[in-house]
Amino acid sequence: MKRKIIIFGALALLLLVIVFIAWDLFFNKPAGNENPYAYDLKSLRSGDSTQILFAEEQHFSTGLPAIHGIALDKSDHIFIAGENGFEIYDPAGKREAAIPIGGTANCIHVDQAGQIYLGMQDHVEIYDQKGRQLKTWNTCGEDAIITSIAAEGKDVYIADAGNKVVYQYDVTGAFHKKIGEKDPSRKIPGFVVPSPYFDLGIGRKGELWVVNPGRHHFEQYNGDGDIMSSWGEAGMSMDGFCGCCNPSNFAIFSDGSFVTSEKGIERIKIYGPDGVFKCMVAGPGSFVEGTRGLDLAVDSKNRILVLDPEKNQVRIFTLKKQVTGK
Amino acid sequence: MKARGAIRTFPAAIAIIRTIANCLKQTSSASAKQVRINPLQKMEEPENNHKINRRKFLGAGVRASVLLGLGGVAALVLKQSVAGNLVWQLDPAKCVQCGRCATSCVLTPSAVKCVHVYAMCGYCDLCGGYFKPETKTLTTAAENQLCPTSALKRKFIEDPFFEYTVDEPLCIGCGKCVKGCGAFGNGSLQLQVRHNRCVNCNQCSIARNCPADAYSRVPASKPYLLRQVGDEKNLTAKTPRR
Repeated sequence: MKRKIIIFGALALLLLVIVFIAWDLFFNKPAGNENPYAYDLKSLRSGDSTQILFAEEQHFSTGLPAIHGIALDKSDHIFIAGENGFEIYDPAGKREAAIPIGGTANCIHVDQAGQIYLGMQDHVEIYDQKGRQLKTWNTCGEDAIITSIAAEGKDVYIADAGNKVVYQYDVTGAFHKKIGEKDPSRKIPGFVVPSPYFDLGIGRKGELWVVNPGRHHFEQYNGDGDIMSSWGEAGMSMDGFCGCCNPSNFAIFSDGSFVTSEKGIERIKIYGPDGVFKCMVAGPGSFVEGTRGLDLAVDSKNRILVLDPEKNQVRIFTLKKQVTGK
Repeated sequence: MKARGAIRTFPAAIAIIRTIANCLKQTSSASAKQVRINPLQKMEEPENNHKINRRKFLGAGVRASVLLGLGGVAALVLKQSVAGNLVWQLDPAKCVQCGRCATSCVLTPSAVKCVHVYAMCGYCDLCGGYFKPETKTLTTAAENQLCPTSALKRKFIEDPFFEYTVDEPLCIGCGKCVKGCGAFGNGSLQLQVRHNRCVNCNQCSIARNCPADAYSRVPASKPYLLRQVGDEKNLTAKTPRR
């Protein structure tokens, strides 16, 4: 009896050893592929989905090889600028015109009269809605990188990422002044623009808002170039602007709220007129990792139009039905 | 099958060697022999050509081998002088910062180091390559730094600009800063094989383990593959000047 127990015990032990060897040989994956220095960005990209109050209602592809800027006119027609041309779409996303140009437009703006302003590398070109070139303004300088244009009344504001300054022109193309150059006596901190994403826009009262991306700020200026107010802070959290230089683009709602886009962690968010975070429009999961330059526009129905250069699409976001209650 | 093939090809090989040997013999001592050989002997030569003794065969074989060897060496020297020496390098455009440059190199620490392309740098206060993502205060405290060995140094230049330099002896080539800079900045921090450390193995062990196939041999005259201003993905224009 005792001998049988010993034999069974020895057999069980042998079986255990065989199982261990088999597991070690065939199932135990070597740790060689693990990265002891892993920097996991996925955790940063997984935001709180309950904060996302918008849903993608529609999207359409453009006919341009690369797209860089979006603008709307007063009747919500959509204007897309990009490589070697610009295109015009009706509010439903049906293409109405495709106009070729010589070169790449980094940004686009349509004024109240319907004139189309294209920001080329170092100068502005103006077209009418039929694609006829009306005027070409003088170059802003050798280092200029025009990244945004906005018009208010007779003034046209141009953001130059290369020279880190905003130019004020009039509609005839006459240069008036530079805005935002560092001036401690006027408490102007100066723009910090590490990468060519430098946006500006006009607020509900006609005030000029400019992103100071390196400082993660929005700065408000009057027509004389005086700084009136600023808001914004750096941070990976939902209410901050991530990375070295954000937001990359923004648009302003009719109630004065801001819709902003960021690179690094691709997300679109809404802030109130006072700069308080309200909600998210779309999180990193909605975009291809590494997408940059998500230009924005807001139409008269408060739909948010997002230019997605990676997918070469215009994506339209609206409030979720649960939020609107409709 | 192989043996039969060898038997079949052997006479052909002998015939080729014999022909080469005859050619060599004729070219080396043709003029001298022509003077000494009488017409009768010359008439007999075609018959003698079919008979070759072991001594002649071995002599001709040795001469042919020496000639072939010299030709090969000359070709090799010529090829090297045209192409130059080759060294290992990784392409930053393909690099996925997997960390294997730090762990797979035969050297400790690795011959792969972070290299800073200053022309691309934004000199940012909040540098994605220097700080951990959730950092509250932008100070040089160790707990704020992304680099596991504090090899990336930060120096204040003027408000709000900071300069970042790589302390190469401390850098282990893990690529954490490269990933952070690429995700949140301009991608000015890049991994490169430093040739003052690399021992240029015949088969680079990092190249063998690289999941992105980013390693290749490049001419020693152009040993680095750094991305420059204008190569940035998705950027519509050049990086602004400082």
